[in-house]
Amino acid sequence: MTSPSHETLTLFAQSWGLFYLIVLSLGVLVYTFWPKNRARFDRAKNSIMNDENGPWA
Amino acid sequence: MFGTHYKLERYSIGLAVAIIVAASIGGLVEIAPLFTIHETVERAPHMRVYTPLELAGRNIYIREGCYACHSQMIRTLSDEVERYGPYSLAVESQYDHPMLWGSKRTGPDLARVGEKYSDLWQSEHLNNPRSVVPQSIMPAYGFLKRTELRTTDLPKDLAALKRLGVPYTDAMVRNASDDAKGQADPDGAWADGVRARYGDATHVRAFDGDAGTVTEMDALVAYLQVLGHLTDVAHASEAGAGK
Amino acid sequence: MVSTMTANERQAALVISILAAIVGLAMAAAGRHDPLGVHGAMVLLTGLMCAFWVIRDYYKPEPPATRLAAYYDEPIKAGILLALLWAAIGMFFGDWVAWLLAYPEMTFDAAWSSFGRMRPIHTTGVIFGFGGNALIATSFHVMQRTSRARLADQFTPWFVLVGYNLFCAMAVSGYLMGVTQSKEYAEPEWYADIWLVVVWIAYFALYLRTLARRREPHIYVANWYYLAFILVVAMLHIVNNLALPVSWAGAKSYSLFSGVQDAMVQWWYGHNAVAFFLTAGFLGMLYYYLPKRAGRPIYSYRMSIVGFWGITFFYVWVGSHHLHYTALPQWVQTLGMTFSVMLLIPSWIAAANALLTLNGAWHKVRDDATLRFMMVAAVFYGLSTFEGSFLAIRPVNSLSHYTDWTVAHVHAGTLGWNSMIIFGAIYYLVPQLWKRAHMYSPALVEFHFWSAIAGTFIYVFAMWNSGITQGLMWRAYNPNGTLAYSFLDTVIAMHPYYIARAFGGLLFLIGTLAGIYNVWRTIQAAPARTPQSDQPILAVAQQAGS
Repeated sequence: MTSPSHETLTLFAQSWGLFYLIVLSLGVLVYTFWPKNRARFDRAKNSIMNDENGPWA
Repeated sequence: MFGTHYKLERYSIGLAVAIIVAASIGGLVEIAPLFTIHETVERAPHMRVYTPLELAGRNIYIREGCYACHSQMIRTLSDEVERYGPYSLAVESQYDHPMLWGSKRTGPDLARVGEKYSDLWQSEHLNNPRSVVPQSIMPAYGFLKRTELRTTDLPKDLAALKRLGVPYTDAMVRNASDDAKGQADPDGAWADGVRARYGDATHVRAFDGDAGTVTEMDALVAYLQVLGHLTDVAHASEAGAGK
Repeated sequence: MVSTMTANERQAALVISILAAIVGLAMAAAGRHDPLGVHGAMVLLTGLMCAFWVIRDYYKPEPPATRLAAYYDEPIKAGILLALLWAAIGMFFGDWVAWLLAYPEMTFDAAWSSFGRMRPIHTTGVIFGFGGNALIATSFHVMQRTSRARLADQFTPWFVLVGYNLFCAMAVSGYLMGVTQSKEYAEPEWYADIWLVVVWIAYFALYLRTLARRREPHIYVANWYYLAFILVVAMLHIVNNLALPVSWAGAKSYSLFSGVQDAMVQWWYGHNAVAFFLTAGFLGMLYYYLPKRAGRPIYSYRMSIVGFWGITFFYVWVGSHHLHYTALPQWVQTLGMTFSVMLLIPSWIAAANALLTLNGAWHKVRDDATLRFMMVAAVFYGLSTFEGSFLAIRPVNSLSHYTDWTVAHVHAGTLGWNSMIIFGAIYYLVPQLWKRAHMYSPALVEFHFWSAIAGTFIYVFAMWNSGITQGLMWRAYNPNGTLAYSFLDTVIAMHPYYIARAFGGLLFLIGTLAGIYNVWRTIQAAPARTPQSDQPILAVAQQAGS
């Protein structure tokens, strides 16, 4: 197998990089604002305020 | 019980995988194409490799942390070209494992310092910078002249670089120790071998002013004097920029 | 240390200590004509000392099962003390080399004392010694508290701490002997690098094993940042340090990469060391200790998540902004610049989130120097990320690169952001972990705060001035078209700024020493009668008896 040329590699890098950027941003935003996650985030946010009583179990 | 544990670990391992994926993309995109860069940059068919003495000098340059204050990368800016010479090309550091482009100029750029000053100036300057440049803030490296250069390991150094793709011949590797001594002793028995293996343009001189023992000063000055002179492709491409 | 381990853990500790001693002996023997031999002796000595500690307490009674009902805080205490020790070492050397630039004759004609060899002692000492130990210690604290789980075992945390500090000690002692790869912020040679990988794998495994003991499926966001720190630093470290040793009996190696590839890999590493060592891990600290100290949950949990992925994704692209106008292909420079500017969004999300958390608690910021350390850290984080994006813009970079402006930027980040958040976390943790009502001297905390702030401002302003002055002088032309200044002219112009910078650094160092004294006296003081306990009473009693 011959290794791909510099031109192919840079072209691939330059176009798919943008694609990944958009997909990842959308994915993160959807996860963050997914209504079902709201309760979980609120619980996590407040959970650290009261964690001094030792581990579970 | 077992089920919840599996679920918990799936969460944390999933998070770890997501982090690795997200953090890998940028590096892959920017770095991978560079390994095919030889297809696009200028070539330097007559570029020579560092002689063993110059390589030893380069390793002293690394050991003393010279790169913390001196860059070896002239940018494509007019004032830099005017001050230091033609801007640096990728091919010029193709044999530099590692590169020493640097990131800070507390002192001037050294990419083309070779042959700009005499051997005597360089060795005096290293010995005590303020003896030749009164306002200099460079440390004095008086011990270089007092320290004999260790040449016994040089064949191993060249062999390692050869494995990494630097075009050293077997004869260069085999004779590395003698070549190091020969380059600093122009009238000695080993001087001709250096010229034969590395070309007639190679500087064969008593760099520290004393042909007797090969010192670390010999090595470092030999290295500084070859900076920018392994290939003249940068000067050539500047002259032929219009074509 | 050893008395809190179970019999099995003591066995493991003994075996690994002896193994380390054997490896050290082999290194010392093979490298007897090389600095490698000195490092072999250090490894041997560390192995023997650890083995001695284990043997001394080997037959002490095992800790009771009730230990599982308490957090395991001993390694956190040790980590904090180690961080402070490295802070003193790293900042001392930093200020020393700062004075060297103003008074270059202070090298005593010795090899070890030149700027080039001592400068990496400063960078390694403060980044990896001070920052790294603080990250490890606080991560041990945060992972236990947020998971409501005790550390997975009693041996691995000590292995990580001792191993990591052995790496740091090999690094800085190596520089004095001239052992360096010359890769900035990755100077240690191949054997130290391999050792760090081993330590790091144990650290990561410990983190996952501790998280696995939690009950709530969701992992608190501070842990995400710590995990990104551990994982990406591992990736960067392994790739950037790929090298071929000249022989097994010597320290010297040659980088696998050369020229332009090496430059790109180096700055991909170099800038992401800033991203994942000095940012991600420290944001983990911020997202836990700031809400705790302020007594208010983080302003927006969602913002912390969006910021997290933004930082994790964007940062990796920006390293090439260190190579503007160089032989690196232009499209890579442009990508680096673009992402550097975009990076401002997640960075400011994090800074805003921290400051908005304090909204409504500003009276606490006024009265409590510990919280003020954290607030100032968030402000400096916002300022230096803005400056970073600005400096990455190609034309700006043409002026700033190679000058002290970069140094000003880095120190605004490391003094103003990293050190301040660490000191905030330490002043929060020390009374809590050692069960004291408060620090020995609150006045000394105030003193530390103000000397640190003053030192940072003097330092940063001096370097801004010198950097911009020098950059402008380099590119100044006479009317007839020749360069206006020789390089030496620009060096002479730096002298007053170098003195001011060294003085600013001295103020910061004095503040740090005051902090160390304060921590020491706090530990020496009698325990508070009613401890602000974060452990069940039973565990406290047992600990006091041990």
